[in-house]
Amino acid sequence: MTALEASGTGKGPVADAKASAAGSTPVTPAQHNARKDNRRKWIEIAIFVGPALLMFLAFVVFPMVMAARYSLYKWDSRQPFELAEFIGLDNYTRALFGGTDPETQEIFWKAYAEPFWNAVGNNAQIIALSMLVQLPIAMLIALVLNRKFPGRSSVRLIIFAPYVLAEVTAGLMWLMLLDPRGPVTQMVQGLGLPTPPQGWLEDPTWGFWTFFFIVSWKYIGLAIILFLAGLAGVPEELQEAASIDGASWWQVQWRINIPLIGPTVRVWAFLSIIGSIQLFDMAWVLNKGGSTNQYATIATLMVDTGTQRNDGGYASALAIIMFIFSMAAALLYLTLVMRRDNAARARKGA
Amino acid sequence: MASMRKASAAVAFAASAALLLAACSSDDAGNDPTDAPTGGESSEEKEPVTLTWWHNSVAGDNGQNDLGDYWQSVADAFTAENPHVTIEIEQIQNEDLQRTRIPLALQSGDAPDLFQAWGGGELATQVESGYLMDLSETLADDVTRLGGSVAPWQYEGSTYGLPFQFGVEGIWYRESLFEEAGITEEPATMAELNEAVQALKDADITPIAVGAADGWPAAHWWYNFALRSCPQDVVASAGTTFDFSDPCWVEAGTQLEEFIGTNPFQDQYISTVAQTGATSSAGLVATGEAAMELMGHWNVFVYEGFTDGSDEAIAALHDDLGWFPMPATEGGAGDPSAALGGGDGFACYVDAPPECAEFLSFIVSDENQAGAAEAAGILPVAPAAAEAVTNPVLVELSQVAGNAAYVQLWLDTSFGTNVGGAMNDGIVGIFAGTGDAQDVVDLMTAAALTQ
Amino acid sequence: MATDTTTQSYRQPTKQSRTRTRLQGDSSIYVTIFVALIAVGLTLGPIIYLALGGFRSNGQLAADPTGLPDPWVWQNYWNILTQGNFWEYTLNSLIVAVATTAGVVLFGTMAAYPLARYAFKGREGIFIIFTAGLMFPLTVAIFPLFLLLNDLGWVGGYWGLIVPQIAFALPVTVIIMRPFLAALPDELEEAAFMDGLTRVGFFYRMVLPLAKPGMVTVGVLAFLGSWNAYLLPLVILTGREAPTTLPLGVTQFQGQNAADFAGIMAYTFLAMIPALVFFLMMERRIVDGLSGAVKG
Repeated sequence: MTALEASGTGKGPVADAKASAAGSTPVTPAQHNARKDNRRKWIEIAIFVGPALLMFLAFVVFPMVMAARYSLYKWDSRQPFELAEFIGLDNYTRALFGGTDPETQEIFWKAYAEPFWNAVGNNAQIIALSMLVQLPIAMLIALVLNRKFPGRSSVRLIIFAPYVLAEVTAGLMWLMLLDPRGPVTQMVQGLGLPTPPQGWLEDPTWGFWTFFFIVSWKYIGLAIILFLAGLAGVPEELQEAASIDGASWWQVQWRINIPLIGPTVRVWAFLSIIGSIQLFDMAWVLNKGGSTNQYATIATLMVDTGTQRNDGGYASALAIIMFIFSMAAALLYLTLVMRRDNAARARKGA
Repeated sequence: MASMRKASAAVAFAASAALLLAACSSDDAGNDPTDAPTGGESSEEKEPVTLTWWHNSVAGDNGQNDLGDYWQSVADAFTAENPHVTIEIEQIQNEDLQRTRIPLALQSGDAPDLFQAWGGGELATQVESGYLMDLSETLADDVTRLGGSVAPWQYEGSTYGLPFQFGVEGIWYRESLFEEAGITEEPATMAELNEAVQALKDADITPIAVGAADGWPAAHWWYNFALRSCPQDVVASAGTTFDFSDPCWVEAGTQLEEFIGTNPFQDQYISTVAQTGATSSAGLVATGEAAMELMGHWNVFVYEGFTDGSDEAIAALHDDLGWFPMPATEGGAGDPSAALGGGDGFACYVDAPPECAEFLSFIVSDENQAGAAEAAGILPVAPAAAEAVTNPVLVELSQVAGNAAYVQLWLDTSFGTNVGGAMNDGIVGIFAGTGDAQDVVDLMTAAALTQ
Repeated sequence: MATDTTTQSYRQPTKQSRTRTRLQGDSSIYVTIFVALIAVGLTLGPIIYLALGGFRSNGQLAADPTGLPDPWVWQNYWNILTQGNFWEYTLNSLIVAVATTAGVVLFGTMAAYPLARYAFKGREGIFIIFTAGLMFPLTVAIFPLFLLLNDLGWVGGYWGLIVPQIAFALPVTVIIMRPFLAALPDELEEAAFMDGLTRVGFFYRMVLPLAKPGMVTVGVLAFLGSWNAYLLPLVILTGREAPTTLPLGVTQFQGQNAADFAGIMAYTFLAMIPALVFFLMMERRIVDGLSGAVKG
């Protein structure tokens, strides 16, 4: 991830390292034949990077460009693209504010912009909740588990297990657990607590929170494992010194451990934000984003309009909007938050 | 095009055909050579042809796949008579087939020769895209023979597919639960249905199960209210004009809101799926937890899936299972005896070899229709095959279809995926309490404007 | 007192004692164990419920959703393991995942190498193109991707799945491998060139062995990604001869055995097991790799 951080500043760690090193060409015994060397170097680069770059351009970038093209058309995705009609940015304006035609704006707002902003809101809420809920919980668990106790390695192992499960299997499992008369309902009612009147996942208000719980169950293991790895790297002397000085356990965590794993936390936050914007599989498996879109994300809305409603142009526009959001979030985060880490690293390097 | 005047003809009893049927409804109906389109001898000289065939009959519980097995025997019979034809069958689960596989295959230009077609708006899109073979002339005799049920597979006067089954929907109920609640008559009006609901509630029985989490089962309630409140021509033309300005469309939603207001459905209906598990709507009825469910003709097989599969259990289920058409509402411009229905058919890809049409004709021949009805319990379209239906509930269902003023194709199928999907979303909003009657119409209108 | 022992154990810095933290009083170990138990319960509870549900009959499940198997029903698991396509689907998933992993590791490492150790014009540009791929999940490109693969005739076979999966896994691979390769000491390279090794020779003789931990990490990520993939297989694996992968098998089983809740539970749990076993085998690698990647 270091390189990722660096890409925001436009300067790789390699560049830092190499700037002072050998120069632009490798040190070879045959320095005199520089031109031949140069050609050779480019051939080597082509051999190394070529296959990956070609695959990437063909199967990632090209479809991306095609999606951008489709997004400018009115296109029933079951029809040949030749029958599509060019409509400029209409698909985008429809999603963002219900189109430009005052006559239809009201119903387009209701039918398209409202679900769109609802999905954007859900994505944003999941990002915010990840930071406000998942992060503290993961941090607390990591701090508590960051000591030796019987069965520690097994506990670490178990906590991470949901992360490796397929969304299909995990989602199906939760569907069965959260069945209207399933075990979760029974247990909660057994404790004398209320259950959602319309069911865990489909209730218009509770559904989103149930969904967030499932997502947290699935992905919080990553945060805990990363934080634990970060904590393992905190020099023990610091903690010992502090505790000799009479600092309580909490003070040690608060003043030493948490600040020192800051970079790890910030990288996790970055991954979490991108992942939250692109969240799809789990929401889709559960019930295509919910029957009233209560936990729909931009991605489920996109696949829904593309495959269930066959509105290929509009779905492509949503895809491009999602890409722009991810890109913007990434750039913003890299420049605002992670610049500090990179700057610190650069200072260390100097 | 979506409405079908007298689709009744399709499923009505045609007494004259009964004799003909009796002769060939035995074990392997497909072997009867009289209906084979080409003679065995001449076909030997023909170029070898391979037909690919995608259908939605996959193995269900316990690996049983009656219809799939029957289709295989039909294909075998056809190739036996036409040795130059090889038929490759692929069985694909319905949702994947309709939403993913067929659209992508057609798009890619590498489509199966013969594939499942549900008629209505979807077929219209496929025709407009130039994907389907025009069968009007080659299969003119079959179109006439099958009657009005073919209408959903027609577009602007031409035929692009043929149905092999068609049925109407209505309310399935458990007779024993009705008895327990002291209900003696099948409700014929909304007022009577409301009374029955109240009686069941008083007897501590869940009156009606609905699988609203799947969307469409909930939407069908609205369709029925629309059918009662809208004049036939308004409903019929909506599939082509997409004009929803008639106030009857909003009225349908208002009636649904009122009905939901009486709390007729099970707890957490918005979280209930239609078919998976004992807590699904079908499961609730099958296990005797809920008394009624609005569903199509296929649901008897879904209910059977919840028994242990033994003959006694299935017989006991059939014994206790009743069916009545959706009750008439008071007022409204629609015909109270109109019915909603839908079916399954097949269409040929535009580049398919001519044998595709011949084979399709063979599939829906009177003998094979009767054979499929016997082997797999389908509701045949061919009038001559009506006798082959033995399940008393399905017989009743056919009669209702026969007596209906007209049979309207499922509205979502009729309107196509885009407007139909918008409609279903809006209706689920009513069920969830997040939307109202006007929203449904607005969402449909908006979707229609974008296509 | 407590600090004393800690300091002493620190003086013999075995790996074990390095991570040992005894800053709190001994009673607080119970807090730790309490938190650990809750976390484990919440994580494992649902999975155990699923596994046990597979040992019950539908009647038992309906009568008491929270009960234990009574009697234990082996039929559900037995039927799936002996009758259906479970093993075939597992094998298909395995083939696709192994091929994807091999491709990702090979091509990703190759691409990362010049990006890490050559200085050339356009290097950062290429790198930025790769990183931008992170912002573009497969979901977004699924439709144009299908049309492209169809033109190539890859729909319905392994290639249509493997090659795009490699392509979409490349960004994260390059991002992880690049700093990893950049961290190899320059002296090593210089010495190798002195010995007359070419860049390519250096890559195969030195880089590949030394980069193994990083390669294992990206390989594990690629393997899991492929193993769990749902949307691409659903769209690509069409056609009569098309193989079906395990996640598709799960939804297929669910669709075809709608009434059989216990059977669905058994199938779902069985489908989880390979990923869990793989995770157990590779656990250290995954954790080390992920944290290594994050720490750079």
